[in-house]
Amino acid sequence: MLRDIIAKEIQDTIMSPRFIFTFLLCTILILLSVYIGINSYLAEQKEYSAAIALNKKNLESQPNYITLATTGTKINKRPVVLSTVVSGVQEAVGRVATVNVAFDPSLVDSKYSSNPVFAVFGALDLSFIVKIVLSLFAILFTYDAIVGEKERGTLKLTLSNRVPRDRLILGKAIGGFISLLIPLVIPLVLSLLILLIYPNVSLSGDDWGRIGLICVMFLIYLSVFFTLGLFVSTRTSRSSTSFLLLLFIWVTFVTIIPKAAVIVAARINPIPSVHEVTAQKDAYLQEIQKESFVEQQKFFREHPRPEKQEEIAKWNEEIRKWAEDIQQRLTAKIDEKNAAIERDYQTKMRVQQGLAVNLSRISPSSALMFSCMSLARTGISEHDRFLNSIKTYKPIFTKWINAKMMRTLNLGEGEQPKPELSDMPQFEFKPERLSESVVRILPDLALMVFLIILFFIGSYVSFLRYDVR
Amino acid sequence: MMLEAKDLTKRYEDGLLAVDHLNFKVEPGEIFCMFGANGAGKTTAINIFLGFIPPTEGTALIEGVDVVKEPLKSKDYISFVSENVMLYDNFTAFQNINYFAKLGGKRNLTKADYAQVLNRVGLQEEAYNMRTKKYSKGMRQKLGIAIAMVKDAPNIILDEPTAGLDPKSGQEFLKLLLELRDKGKSIFMSSHDIFRAKLIADRVAFMLKGRLVMLRTRKELEGEDLNQLYVEYMEERPEAA
Repeated sequence: MLRDIIAKEIQDTIMSPRFIFTFLLCTILILLSVYIGINSYLAEQKEYSAAIALNKKNLESQPNYITLATTGTKINKRPVVLSTVVSGVQEAVGRVATVNVAFDPSLVDSKYSSNPVFAVFGALDLSFIVKIVLSLFAILFTYDAIVGEKERGTLKLTLSNRVPRDRLILGKAIGGFISLLIPLVIPLVLSLLILLIYPNVSLSGDDWGRIGLICVMFLIYLSVFFTLGLFVSTRTSRSSTSFLLLLFIWVTFVTIIPKAAVIVAARINPIPSVHEVTAQKDAYLQEIQKESFVEQQKFFREHPRPEKQEEIAKWNEEIRKWAEDIQQRLTAKIDEKNAAIERDYQTKMRVQQGLAVNLSRISPSSALMFSCMSLARTGISEHDRFLNSIKTYKPIFTKWINAKMMRTLNLGEGEQPKPELSDMPQFEFKPERLSESVVRILPDLALMVFLIILFFIGSYVSFLRYDVR
Repeated sequence: MMLEAKDLTKRYEDGLLAVDHLNFKVEPGEIFCMFGANGAGKTTAINIFLGFIPPTEGTALIEGVDVVKEPLKSKDYISFVSENVMLYDNFTAFQNINYFAKLGGKRNLTKADYAQVLNRVGLQEEAYNMRTKKYSKGMRQKLGIAIAMVKDAPNIILDEPTAGLDPKSGQEFLKLLLELRDKGKSIFMSSHDIFRAKLIADRVAFMLKGRLVMLRTRKELEGEDLNQLYVEYMEERPEAA
């Protein structure tokens, strides 16, 4: 009997105009999103290669270590292949950071900053389609699952037979969910095939594993809205009421809670603005510059230029050693202070972010986005990880360039030597491992599974007591 | 006996007494028509028999099975045809009848079996594969009775089955009920249509404010003034001040 109910549910849905509409729309949107994602990724890949080549050329063209120290090297973020399905915060955050001796590195030049129109409309990626469009379809498929049958009179006819109510609700849930999956799974499989065969898009085994998990998260997310729809459908006596109620909950989940969480978190845990942090760093830099000036004056007072020509070379060597020492020392102090300011800022920001994330997790939409971004490595955590790697690289680069600069310092004796880049330390970034990403998504997964169980038990119990008249 | 109400009473939570100590029996091979104005308690009594609402007092028995104690078992012995037979609109007649036949426990029927039943209820062959959203009310009622026939339960409950049917369709529908009665089915039918139901009913009963106020055999009814009965029991009148 359960099989008959499931089969009927699937057949009834598939033959309905709303299914045909949903299927067509999903197919168009999903294929379009992946196509856009692939093109965007390839364009970024091209841009990345060009930026790397340009940086290399720029480094090689520096006349000496002093200019290299101030110009620095540019670290470009390598495009993530899974941004084709989940763009995450990639387009909103910077893609390139300059590492030099003077400033604390920060990522700039986001896609949105280079073309603000993107920020207006946002990215049309697969996660967006599932989050917005398919969740809405999940509601559309279930808002009248029970109440609609009651209104039509088919529920009475069905239950005039030997049909246990628990089996009926279970059959309707399974059949309805399978019907909802069809418009998702077919275009999704087609999209993955496109990803597989598209030239210049290469996915590793790890990437496929991540895509698989992203798809699982999609299914779980849709199950939340599906069971919610079923639940509301068993708690209302008119399908119009059910639809309006579900629409209200959907808007709350998808738009209000995530935005409100950020506002509430900012109120509860305020953090200094970026300008305030920069002002703190600048103030310390000025302090150090004064200190440097005082030390410089002291040094030259104590070490005046010798009169004798033969002592000049020794004097130069002393200056070089002193300059290298003071440069390393002061830079280390600046770096240390900047790091402390940054740590303090990051700690406060992390607390605020954590609060916003945890508050917004009440909404399954936020849970979906956080988990998918973690799996696709396009989220805030991956951005922080990349930035931290650059910050770790900065003192390594600074130490190298300072040493080079001072060793080749030539006071008033003609041209400085051209930088030798072969031993320049290279920036390395290790992306998050799959196991780490899985651990990160566990709270979101648990929350959504909890909601599914809650809504399903709610609809199950409600239907057992449902007034079918 | 096939269908029996023993002191059946239903008082809703708001205090409304919808059915008040109702007693009747419907024997095999009998058509029992229950008349009454809107709110007389006919549909409430049917809902109790179908297990949709529990009685406050009394018992409803189908083939001797208490519908409260053994709700699922009691449904093996009953078919239901509602006032507006509403089916799955995207399904054809075949698909609808096949689904409900399976729910009714008839799993081995073929398309030919369904076609035979649909033919018997007078549904045109070209309508078998037509989606029921295109069906007229008369066609729906025929399909509803076909579904009941396929289930082949010994009892059939019909809630206002001829309401809204044109004279020809109504006539055809009543003819089908006579056929079923002749096969030994016990048929309980609630109706407003005293003039039409009188043609087929073996016994008629009138309900007023939840109580069974009058019970007549067809023979006894022949001597009655139907217009007078209609005015007395069926017309809705404002409550006396």
